[in-house]
Amino acid sequence: MTMVNVKIDGHQIQARAGSTVLEAAKEAGIDIPTLCHHPALANIGACRVCLVEVAKQRALQPACTFPVTEGIEIETESPRAVEARKFVLEMLFSERNHYCMYCEMSGDCELQNLAYRYGMDHWTYPTPYPKMPVDGTRAYFIMDHNRCILCRRCVRACSDLVANHTLGVKARGANTMISADMDVPFGESSCVNCGTCLQVCPTGALIDRKSAYMGREVQVDSVNSTCTFCSVGCGLKVVTRAGRVLRVEGDWDGHNQGVVCVAGRFEPLYDTREPVTEPMMRKNGQLEPVAWDEALDAIARKMKGAKVGAYAAGKALNETLSEFVKVFQGKAGADVHTLESTLADLDLPAGGSLQDLDAADCILVVGADPLANQRVLGYRIKRSLDKGARLLLVADGENELAAFSHRHFAVSDLHEAIRICEGGVAPVVVFGADLKREDARRLATLTGKAKFIALFPAANGFRAKELGLTNGTGADGADVLYLLLEDVVQTEALARRAKKAKFVVAHASRAGAVTEIADVVLPAPMWYEKEGSFVNLEGNKIDVTRVLPVPDGVIPGHEVFNRLAARL
Amino acid sequence: MGKVKVATDWLAACAGCHMSFLDIDERIVGLLEKIELTATPITDLKHPPEEGVTVGILTGAVNNTTHLEVVKRMRERCKILISLGDCAVFGGIVSMRNFFDLDEALRRAYVETESTVDGQIPCSEELGKPIRVRSVKDVVEVDIHIPGCPPSADTIYYALSELLEGRIPVLTGDNLKYD
Repeated sequence: MTMVNVKIDGHQIQARAGSTVLEAAKEAGIDIPTLCHHPALANIGACRVCLVEVAKQRALQPACTFPVTEGIEIETESPRAVEARKFVLEMLFSERNHYCMYCEMSGDCELQNLAYRYGMDHWTYPTPYPKMPVDGTRAYFIMDHNRCILCRRCVRACSDLVANHTLGVKARGANTMISADMDVPFGESSCVNCGTCLQVCPTGALIDRKSAYMGREVQVDSVNSTCTFCSVGCGLKVVTRAGRVLRVEGDWDGHNQGVVCVAGRFEPLYDTREPVTEPMMRKNGQLEPVAWDEALDAIARKMKGAKVGAYAAGKALNETLSEFVKVFQGKAGADVHTLESTLADLDLPAGGSLQDLDAADCILVVGADPLANQRVLGYRIKRSLDKGARLLLVADGENELAAFSHRHFAVSDLHEAIRICEGGVAPVVVFGADLKREDARRLATLTGKAKFIALFPAANGFRAKELGLTNGTGADGADVLYLLLEDVVQTEALARRAKKAKFVVAHASRAGAVTEIADVVLPAPMWYEKEGSFVNLEGNKIDVTRVLPVPDGVIPGHEVFNRLAARL
Repeated sequence: MGKVKVATDWLAACAGCHMSFLDIDERIVGLLEKIELTATPITDLKHPPEEGVTVGILTGAVNNTTHLEVVKRMRERCKILISLGDCAVFGGIVSMRNFFDLDEALRRAYVETESTVDGQIPCSEELGKPIRVRSVKDVVEVDIHIPGCPPSADTIYYALSELLEGRIPVLTGDNLKYD
């Protein structure tokens, strides 16, 4: 790494050649104000707030894009730089509606913070009061163009991080507006509701419907945890206040690089299914609240000597899943399975990472629809395509990746796709539960050549497979059926299957078709009450941190199994 | 040395800035030993004295022709003019009206409001005519700007104390707020 000598505000420092003035200053602990700059996004020098004075340069230069060179001398707060910066801020404030007193972001706004920093106590220029539209056509968040400063962070997040390319700008000058696709309402656009734009917006232009006006940064708590709604296992920052989850954000330091999808960010907060809050037993046909002891005694009594079957949701954490197998398989001799496939029948390597996709030149997707089910991985595939990778999609039915594939093969032509993959330099195979066993055998010829990413349908599928669990209907004939459902969707089909047993236990955090017919219902912690770890599709053990305390009456899964085991 | 004469007046405002002024609480007793509040909307005398005051304070935005007169009169009668609060400094909440046509706003307020029956837009000669909302500094020269919705009592006290010490107050930290 070549280093160059740089002088910033009189401090002589060494900086990496080619790094920007902003990066060099940051290394040296000098804070240059920014607005359109975001650490996760490419710099475009749009806002001009970071203008600095560079010796021997005729004009002020944006620190975020100007590279340092040997002997460069920079003044970050010279009178000329500060004057220009204040001018930029004045122009930004007078352009649209930047009245803080009735803005949702006041207190957490990056534009407001800069105005405070530079002591703006009035606006020099008159405000034209342009009447800009507010777009409320999206389900989870609102775009108020009146608050937009056109920094284009949202545009860059949409294209560079999510590779969705929905957002762009239309018109010119003061009439410039953020626009979706060919200028359609956001709700009717190709937007996938991942909310990454919402997360990077520096002002009140993008507003989360659920957490709007619910508390400023200093008033809320946040916990870093992991999303358990698919096997990617995205890093999260969960924001809470007064015992409630306000919103979910992506963790910039996670392997998901700040990106989460609608299933992790928004949908869990809009789950309206009735929560299960206490143990219940069916008495005279009706489910009635009972104490844990009574419920567990009843289950243990029914299990003794009976043919027991047990299914677990593959999203259960390691601790819960291990105990589940130990108690039901080990102690009760039950036939145990997962509700979802663990890809156990596919004799293929697994554990390829999201980073492998970044480096891929050829991506073969078979038996899976990541853009529908493991969306963040799907976005990552699209990002790789933007950088020049080729996508070979092998799918017979509909697939959300179809529009982006370079070649789309029928499953019967898998060998064709494999042949192309063999010619790749860094091929990655992404496979899922729809892959047939014999096709997996064909794919196995790429072992050693390609990285394999297994798209487990459930969050902890990797560990479930290690525990020897498979899905199937093997336990359906049991007399006593135990279903660890947590918050998975309880389909009518599953309820019909469960009904065949004489005695059904539903261990769930939400009510549904199965709890409806169950003889005993046990409460399971909500996603934000779980604590432990799981193994994501990369094969990494990742921690899930409890965001809110488990309410009275609810007991973590593994402890429930311990208590049950003591009775068997 | 005699007391420093101060006058205040309000324009299109919610009175919150004057409330915040009163919120300086018992410190106002000490303050009144040094200043004389000649006229305010919340005392008996409403108009700044003709002989003038040292400090004039205006709260609220300028939104009709009467306000134009009030602002100009205060400017003529004071040496140092303070814009107090977001409405006086920026136009504030009141200026939301500027995002609409004036006719549209008046119709909505006096005729189309859901609870209004046989509404009529006021048109008496005695009333000031509504105009496009503007901040005080867009009408006359302002010497000191104190934004805030409202500015805190501490900020107001700080600003007046600085003036009494012969300094022009510079708002930083918690004293500079827009909400």
